[in-house]
Amino acid sequence: MSLETTPILDVNRLVKRFGGFTALDGLSFHVVPGEILGLVGPNGSGKTTAINVISGLYSPDGGGVIFEGRAVGGVASHRLVHRGINRTFQVPKPFMSLSVRENVEVALAYGRADGVPPAIDALLEEYRLADVAKRPAADLNSAQQKMLDLTRALATAPRLLLLDELAAGLNPAELDWIADRIKALAAKGMAIIVVEHLMGFIEHITDRVIVMNAGKEIFEGKLAAAVKEPQVIEVFLGGEHAA
Amino acid sequence: MHNGFKHTLIILVPLLIVFAALPGVYQNHLLLFNFVIFLILAQGVNIIYGFTGYLPFGYVGFFGAGAYGFAVMVMHFQTPAVAAVLVAGLVGIALGLLLTPLLRLTGAYFAIANLAASLAVLHLVANPALENITKGPYGVSLTGTFNPSFAYDAALVVLAITLGGVIYLRNSSFGLALQAVREDAVSAAMAGVDVVKMRVIAWLASALVAGLAGGVYAWYVSVFYPDNVFSGEFSIFAIVFALFGGVATILGPIVGVIILYGIYNLIGFTTPQYFQLVYGLLIMGLVLFLPAGLMSLATRRGWHVP
Amino acid sequence: MLSYALIAGVLFGLYFSLVGIGLNLVFGVMRIVNLAHGDTIMLGAFIALGVVTLAGIDPLFAVPLAFVVFLLAGVLLYWVLVPRLQGSSNPEMLSIILFFGLSQVIEAVTTIFAGTSERSIQSRLLGTVFTTIKVKWFGGTPGRGGPIQILGQGFPAPWVIAAVTSLIAIALVYLYLYRTRLGTLTRAVMSRRDEAFATGIDVDRVSAVAFGIGLGLAAISGVFAPFMFGSITPAFGADATVTSFAIVVLGSLGNPLGTALGGIVYGVCYMLVQTYLSSWADLLPYVLLILILLLRPSGLLGRRVRVA
Repeated sequence: MSLETTPILDVNRLVKRFGGFTALDGLSFHVVPGEILGLVGPNGSGKTTAINVISGLYSPDGGGVIFEGRAVGGVASHRLVHRGINRTFQVPKPFMSLSVRENVEVALAYGRADGVPPAIDALLEEYRLADVAKRPAADLNSAQQKMLDLTRALATAPRLLLLDELAAGLNPAELDWIADRIKALAAKGMAIIVVEHLMGFIEHITDRVIVMNAGKEIFEGKLAAAVKEPQVIEVFLGGEHAA
Repeated sequence: MHNGFKHTLIILVPLLIVFAALPGVYQNHLLLFNFVIFLILAQGVNIIYGFTGYLPFGYVGFFGAGAYGFAVMVMHFQTPAVAAVLVAGLVGIALGLLLTPLLRLTGAYFAIANLAASLAVLHLVANPALENITKGPYGVSLTGTFNPSFAYDAALVVLAITLGGVIYLRNSSFGLALQAVREDAVSAAMAGVDVVKMRVIAWLASALVAGLAGGVYAWYVSVFYPDNVFSGEFSIFAIVFALFGGVATILGPIVGVIILYGIYNLIGFTTPQYFQLVYGLLIMGLVLFLPAGLMSLATRRGWHVP
Repeated sequence: MLSYALIAGVLFGLYFSLVGIGLNLVFGVMRIVNLAHGDTIMLGAFIALGVVTLAGIDPLFAVPLAFVVFLLAGVLLYWVLVPRLQGSSNPEMLSIILFFGLSQVIEAVTTIFAGTSERSIQSRLLGTVFTTIKVKWFGGTPGRGGPIQILGQGFPAPWVIAAVTSLIAIALVYLYLYRTRLGTLTRAVMSRRDEAFATGIDVDRVSAVAFGIGLGLAAISGVFAPFMFGSITPAFGADATVTSFAIVVLGSLGNPLGTALGGIVYGVCYMLVQTYLSSWADLLPYVLLILILLLRPSGLLGRRVRVA
């Protein structure tokens, strides 16, 4: 696979504190278009915080986020959506009383990134929501809600997509299916960051992973190489995180 | 906007025709006027509560401020009534702007803070220290502009504007985005919606509606006291009527006003406490047994309610 | 004049703490805003009126009576209303509306039975039980129940009695929360409702008792309302709810003991405004409430988030 070399996203010594707790402690990494990057690490290592800062939910307390050459740290979420960043949530919160189709319509109408938004029917069809399009989102099961969340994000035609535990709770057949979808999106040039606990899934879809611990990067490279690193093994198997 | 046109044709136009014709055949014009006022206020509540999720316990604050905006213009500047009604709308917007920080609050905090704000405006207007401007607690008398039939027509115009606004919300992606914000602000932002801007627009729109209604009301009644136009009953009735019918629809608040306010007047309670008892019980029953309003009986069956 | 206003402010402040504490307990435990709180206070005042007019005894006897009646009423009401509410899609918003409806019902029923005229109780009747005991046990003649001296200034006896009762009531709330098993469970539910469910705490039982205690405390504060505010009407409830909310928010919502601080701050402000700016005194609770909500959203003590 040939990747473009100019990063679409450059995260530079990012710091985020909550009161006395430092969730991100100088995290740096980059992603290039068409790449699928995995963020892995034990609970509390700062993966979701990183996603939240990049997607504008939190302002960074230090360091910078550069997207397509512009500094975007601290920019409001809806503006980032317009610039081409979108994400899904670990626990999706769709607009429960609106229909599935209306959920996506809002994003189509308000989330215009520069790209050409996909046609809504094709999108619903592709993510297996066509049959329930007229039902309120509250009627969906949790896997369907995750797909709706993804569809909402894709409707804005992002060039950088952040997936926060999209695969958790899916069955093996669904996992294969969603892995193919994610790879297809990357093949069209979308940069994708995946936060996930399922190592098999991560290994299957990512080009590269960043292993995080205590808000810092402790390893960068292929997952297969990561699991041989003593420091990574220590973090995953040692201490209270042994599972 | 094909649906919007349809809704205008089947809801707005017939309603206006009926209320324009009724004064010719029905003698109690004050009652008809009150119907129109509550239709406006219930839709105003619909905009801010139904579409945005903020429960405006102090909604009457805008109404009263509008009425006093009208009165001050007429008393001190001899403004023609129509212009004074427009000023009343602006006063509503100005108060809304002043209160936009309240939108940072959620749920009960917003509701109570809004109630407190309306009471603060009441006590300000009714303060004897401001007698020179508002006539304080002694009330105003605006005999110069007294013209009930024009005021009634003006109320119909305000109703038309309000309903037009709600029809737009019901049929546009703007209204959809507002509801998205109501359901989950974070997800809405991730759909590209500017959450703060949307909330402020809806808030000011509903403030404008109530301000205009207050101005028209002042024009119609011409003599009133602070306690009349800041009466909590305006907020309560408007909220209950809207809830009873079903918010975030066009038809719900209309049906709510016609049924509940209709029953209220048919039974003709001579003592207000009996009505208070009935609507208190009604509110409780509504929350416990029909929390999404009458219209939900239809939507539960899969019917589309405009 | 200033020291008078300050001492009177503290006396009123202690009383205001009692006015608000029940509302806060209910909110802290159930995340429900009891908009009928003020109406419970109003009913407490009518219990005091009833004790005086029907039994002709010291209105202080209304304190235990009001507490027990509303403790039971609260537990009953909880079981009728709350479980159904919590099964709905948006319990917080619906609870506001539901309890608003309840407050309307209470006000209407009271008006139907008692009329709208202002009622008051002669302030010398409050505390007569003390003079009676004094005369019986220690001899002497009944005093005239005049003002009580504090730091060389005279304050109406009911203010002092209300303040002392409030202090005792708040101390008992503290003992309940920190020294009894049910109280400990109550605090557990307050801090983490979801986890309390998971750990097998009978959340409904804890909540029902807390709701009853909350109403009971409100009713006790109501007993003193005719003395503190001069007179009461059935319509008193709505204002009392807003005032209570201001006090609770001042302290910090969800922290019942913070209410004691909120009450005193509120009481002192109240007296200062009464003394120096009396024509604007009506505005105080509303403006204070809005300012606190906007400027210090977690209250003077708290850290709970209430912002979108």
